[in-house]
Amino acid sequence: MRTEDLIAVLAADTAPQTTPGQRMLRALPPAAVLTLLALVMVWQVRPDLAQIMASPAALKTIVPSLFGLVTLWLGLGVMRPESRARVQWLVLGAMLAISAAVLGAVLATVGLSGLIAALDTPSLLICFLSIPLLSALPLAAIFWAMASGAPAHPRHAGIAAGALAGAIGSAAYSLHCPEDSLLFCLPAYGANMVIVAVIGGLLAPRILRW
Amino acid sequence: MTTPDEPSWEELMRAANRGEQRPYAQLLQAITPVVRGIVRARGSGLGPEGCEDVVQEVLLTIHLKRQTWREDAPLRPWLYAVTRHKVIDAFRARGKRIDLPVDDFLEVLAAPPGPDPLAARDMDRVINELDPRAAQIVRAIGIDGESAADTGARLGMSEGAVRVALHRALKSLANLRERMIE
Repeated sequence: MRTEDLIAVLAADTAPQTTPGQRMLRALPPAAVLTLLALVMVWQVRPDLAQIMASPAALKTIVPSLFGLVTLWLGLGVMRPESRARVQWLVLGAMLAISAAVLGAVLATVGLSGLIAALDTPSLLICFLSIPLLSALPLAAIFWAMASGAPAHPRHAGIAAGALAGAIGSAAYSLHCPEDSLLFCLPAYGANMVIVAVIGGLLAPRILRW
Repeated sequence: MTTPDEPSWEELMRAANRGEQRPYAQLLQAITPVVRGIVRARGSGLGPEGCEDVVQEVLLTIHLKRQTWREDAPLRPWLYAVTRHKVIDAFRARGKRIDLPVDDFLEVLAAPPGPDPLAARDMDRVINELDPRAAQIVRAIGIDGESAADTGARLGMSEGAVRVALHRALKSLANLRERMIE
């Protein structure tokens, strides 16, 4: 086929295209709602949730939600091939640095034994099983939306996708999670978000190839 | 580079996004020599036909990913980024590694205008893999120069159905191509 002919074919295809942002809008809210529904039906929300949400422990829901917003912004930013999304990466990096600093400061007072004591509970295993599970559907929705994008670095886009899915999974799980201490939630939720981000990064080269 | 009476690439692409066929064809024709220049500068080992295969692959990608261009942004950085990605990908698929700094693109001259070079071969092989109806539509519009309406009348389909089938065919072309060229 001559290139002229190909151009005629391409120009005849006037079907309107959807952007990754539009597809995200279409897929992510239903995925998040279904995830919450699964949490309510299978895991169940804590009976004292209203009380918790009025206390400082509400941060265990608020902080993952903030990570979700930033990684959503990042994920949409890296969908354009010419964009490096520098601001988004910087904001995400700053949030990670603050989280690490807070954890470091608390560790400085209670020591490693305090951390081990906080994590030595059966709910740690449940947490590590639940958050990746709750992140699966959001991750699928995010990848579906991103597949219409053109990321310069598919792996980076996959990491952003995984971090976003992990943030949604963590925020959802926090409504069930019986632990309220910072020494539990920050490392456990953080590690889970990293796990899902790594899964996203590993899957991306296949799924987001273009 | 543009004269006042000639619409800019951005204007053409915005018109294309509104579904206007003629400005879009005009834009693709303007882009092609630039893409060809880049591919030839990098891929002398591929031969003219091999280069044209890559040019067509880049054009197909530009088409399928055009919604990732933001209408208020300049088109060229986006275009170069897509071209760079696809050229590297195409060369890797053919067992060559190339280094392609994006700044170099500014120095690459567009291929001289002239008769369209030899037809590329890959696209025909891939079109043969489409289902027969889809392949028929692609050939009718591309090679025979039919309009979607004419093709529809001949095949007993509505014009809309032809366009939907065409859009699906182009997406499968991109997918098939990825599998077949490796």
